[in-house]
Amino acid sequence: MSVFTVGLTLRVKRDFKPIAQRFGVAAVLPVALFALFLMLAGVAPIDTFAAMLQSSVGSSYGIGEVLVRAAPFALTALAAVIPARAGLLNVGAEGQLVCGGLGVAAMAFALGDVSPAGIPLLIVAGMAGGAAWAGIAGVLRTKLQLSETISTLLLNYIGYLLVAHVLQGPLKDPASFNWPYSAPLSDALRFATLLGSRVNVGMLLAPLAAGVLAVLLFRTYWGLNLRVTGGNPQAARRAGINVPRTYLTVMLIAGALAGLAGVLQVMGVEGRLRPTSGVGFGYAGFLAAWMVGHHPIWVLLSALLLAAIAVSGDALQITAGLPASSINILTALVLLGVLARGRAQSRG
Amino acid sequence: MMGKKRSGFLVSAALGLSLLMLACGPASPAGDGAASGTTTVGFLFVGPKDDYGYNQAAYLGSVEMEKAMGARVKVLRAENVPETEEAERVMEGMINQGAKVIFPTSYGHLDPALNVAKRHPTVTFIHQGGLKTAPNLGTYFGNIYETVYLGGVAAGKMTKTNKLGFIVSFPIPQVLMNINAFEQGAKSVNPNATTAVVFTANWCDPGKQAEAANNLIAQGVDVLTQHQDCSKTIVETAERRGIMSVGYHADASALAPKGWLTGAVWNWGPLYTQEVKAVLDGKWAGSPMSGKYRLGIKDGAVDLAKFGAAVPADVQALIKAKQKDIIDGKLTPIEGPVKDQSGNVKIAAGVKPSIDDLEKTDYLVEGVIGSVPR
Amino acid sequence: MLSIVEAVLGGAVRSSTAVLFAALGELIAERAGVVNLGTEGCMLTGALGAFAVTAATGNPYLGALAGGGCGALLAAVHAYVAVVRGANQLATGMAVTILGLGVTSFWGRSFVSTQIQGMEPINLPVLSSMPLLGPILFQHDPLTYLSMLLAPVIWLFLARTRWGLALRATGERQEVVYSVGYSPTMIRFAAVVAGGFLAGLGGAQLAVAYTLNWVENMTQGRGYVAVAMVIFASWNPLMAVAGSYLFGGALSLQLALQAQGVGVSPFLMSAVPYLVTLGVLIVVGRRRRQAMPDELRAVFEGSRG
Repeated sequence: MSVFTVGLTLRVKRDFKPIAQRFGVAAVLPVALFALFLMLAGVAPIDTFAAMLQSSVGSSYGIGEVLVRAAPFALTALAAVIPARAGLLNVGAEGQLVCGGLGVAAMAFALGDVSPAGIPLLIVAGMAGGAAWAGIAGVLRTKLQLSETISTLLLNYIGYLLVAHVLQGPLKDPASFNWPYSAPLSDALRFATLLGSRVNVGMLLAPLAAGVLAVLLFRTYWGLNLRVTGGNPQAARRAGINVPRTYLTVMLIAGALAGLAGVLQVMGVEGRLRPTSGVGFGYAGFLAAWMVGHHPIWVLLSALLLAAIAVSGDALQITAGLPASSINILTALVLLGVLARGRAQSRG
Repeated sequence: MMGKKRSGFLVSAALGLSLLMLACGPASPAGDGAASGTTTVGFLFVGPKDDYGYNQAAYLGSVEMEKAMGARVKVLRAENVPETEEAERVMEGMINQGAKVIFPTSYGHLDPALNVAKRHPTVTFIHQGGLKTAPNLGTYFGNIYETVYLGGVAAGKMTKTNKLGFIVSFPIPQVLMNINAFEQGAKSVNPNATTAVVFTANWCDPGKQAEAANNLIAQGVDVLTQHQDCSKTIVETAERRGIMSVGYHADASALAPKGWLTGAVWNWGPLYTQEVKAVLDGKWAGSPMSGKYRLGIKDGAVDLAKFGAAVPADVQALIKAKQKDIIDGKLTPIEGPVKDQSGNVKIAAGVKPSIDDLEKTDYLVEGVIGSVPR
Repeated sequence: MLSIVEAVLGGAVRSSTAVLFAALGELIAERAGVVNLGTEGCMLTGALGAFAVTAATGNPYLGALAGGGCGALLAAVHAYVAVVRGANQLATGMAVTILGLGVTSFWGRSFVSTQIQGMEPINLPVLSSMPLLGPILFQHDPLTYLSMLLAPVIWLFLARTRWGLALRATGERQEVVYSVGYSPTMIRFAAVVAGGFLAGLGGAQLAVAYTLNWVENMTQGRGYVAVAMVIFASWNPLMAVAGSYLFGGALSLQLALQAQGVGVSPFLMSAVPYLVTLGVLIVVGRRRRQAMPDELRAVFEGSRG
């Protein structure tokens, strides 16, 4: 393990570039522009930024909330990273996440009241739900050469509507007064939380997954196989790599990762599946992955950044009286700043 | 590989963020600075405060409470708080700013509020419309179906086609109660009146609302009402298409000078004031307010909006008389015998169901066209 | 019964117009080789821009123009980052939608309760009194008529004009365009901005002709629907009309069935257009998918090999 760690550290170090240069364009400009927006609204920018920082990274609760949001972002980001390394574009973490949530809810429904021993079953069900949804796109790609970008995009809507339908029907909690929620999980089936917050053990799955995938990707035969396929599928084929199988595998892994994000949301944060559970997280992850050029470790950082911005939006609402969605301006400016920085030479 | 550049940026961004944070210092919760004797009260609204609807009514209530309580309270407000786990964070943020009383005003804020209430036993949560309570979480609501019934009477008297339309969101009990009350009211003066119901599965999607309204109008509906959060689009669409409308939540008569009949509206101010005062005076716990607290037309929590020009004097007088009967306890809007759509007796003859029973409504009454989505 | 059929189909046309505009706009951009997932954001800014200008001037036609302008402006951001700077189109588009959502909720706050005089439906002489077809097609607002005319116009533009050819060629193989003296970057930029203008018009139709309202996030995903409709249409503007009306028809039919007392799942009905799109892509298979511009293939399928 330590060998791997050293290897990864080296890689991480090599990726590091002078701070001042980066900070200039991609961080200061968005913040300055956003300050301009705030001033246009007649809101004092410095006070508002202070309140935003305070509500996100300036208090233990805020930091906890950033982590709570970052964990699923990181998983959906990984769901884009792995296929990207093999040359596929998975835009479908959104749908795979809700299907993961559906897997958890369905399994909980089937199991009924069970002991904590049910937790692994629920996790597996969630990952299976996401993997199944991504698997559809994988099969369409390998058997029918249908672009996975298009199919996953379409499957997002279908997945969301399927979940909405099931929550209004068979999985609706009989005690929810017709509200489209699944039955709440019993406390024994929830991830244990840190006192007074929503930080839960399940969130450890995100860095764990990132670490395991980084090792797999950079330090194993399988990972090389995958990256060669991503680099040039024709060459990979000539080198004897079973390209369709690689494609299918990465899609299944991606779906399982996105499904795991759904697991976190249902078993960690919400305790039940709602039609709104995790909506938007898939796209956030996709963006987090692009921000760091599909690096499995760095996505943890980009996920944290996006989560921190999202969480700080509350302060706009409570302190500055601005609509919370105004925070999307800052998110978008940071994203566009990062994306515009470099030409996309490659997907990987 | 372009990861290098971008990750460099990210590190610097993260560093910068933490530097800024250090510079600002660990700011103390803002609310603590408030003068002793001032209690911070937080309000969460699911939509904008001027939506001619649910949120406008709740917002106006919060303003009235603020005025009535004067220096004893400081009010925090958050609009457009979604009915998701994000609402938890908003409540935590308010508590962090010193809030001791929190009004989550949307039905879907209940679950998040229950979670936060568990973590903060010293904060009082007063939820609007909920059906569950906790030691430090009470719920209140107005029996608005009483005034919706009167709106139904107006619609039943005024309709020419005997077809009424009701645009709703989700089949929760309060929505179903309103549909039933409306149809019962219409039937009481016009046995041929039917109410067609459309569920939009959304509290405020103007596009869907317009489509639903046009659809109902094309099917011959000539009075439209609704249970959505924002009411503007439907009232305006009805007016443009030359049909009548019965409002909901807020007085929107200005939007429909020709077709407005009346509307069921909230008057939250006195109730909010009563609740906050009780908390401040230490009288809230153990009072009816800490449970499921329900006020009706006689308490002034719900009211009838003003009549539109289209409503003739005799109809106005009839509705006023019925309103008085409800206040005097002589008339119960939903009273047995009540049959559901397939003719099963849901409330036996002579039975006056309790509000608890009514809030379990999961059926539509005879005369309603449409079905509860399952 | 007939009136209900008319209502459902007429409603389908009315409620599809916003999506149709956006789909046509997206189609132009995609034929030039650029996917714009920012279409949703362009629609939102278009809706707010149109509403605000209509409220200020009292003229919904000026409003619609402004809406188109706002859509074009936001699309220019996409064009700059994705085309000029060469960033990934899908990621950029998502960021642009986020920007549109943020900007409109920021500035839209004060317009929520504003009342406007919007576009009224105009019954076209003679045509509107045709049985069945009249009420379905010819009793709508002017923007809806414009969207109907636009599809064949765009088809002609793409198929028969020099600029249309240049645009299509850019979408197929930009080197060729470059070699005959055009700038593929400029063509793409223009195509994306034009597409944004149409998406903005779609938002405008929603705000100042259909609902006469503004609320935060009022497009509710219609821009993403438009992107799906372009795929459904296999990059043919005339098919985009069919796809959009299918989408609107599913919504309209579902509401009408409800009002008739027929219980249908609104969610499954809403899924129909996507399932049909996916089904068509699967069944018709490769031949149809060859309609996809080659440069677009690079976006959707990565630049493999």
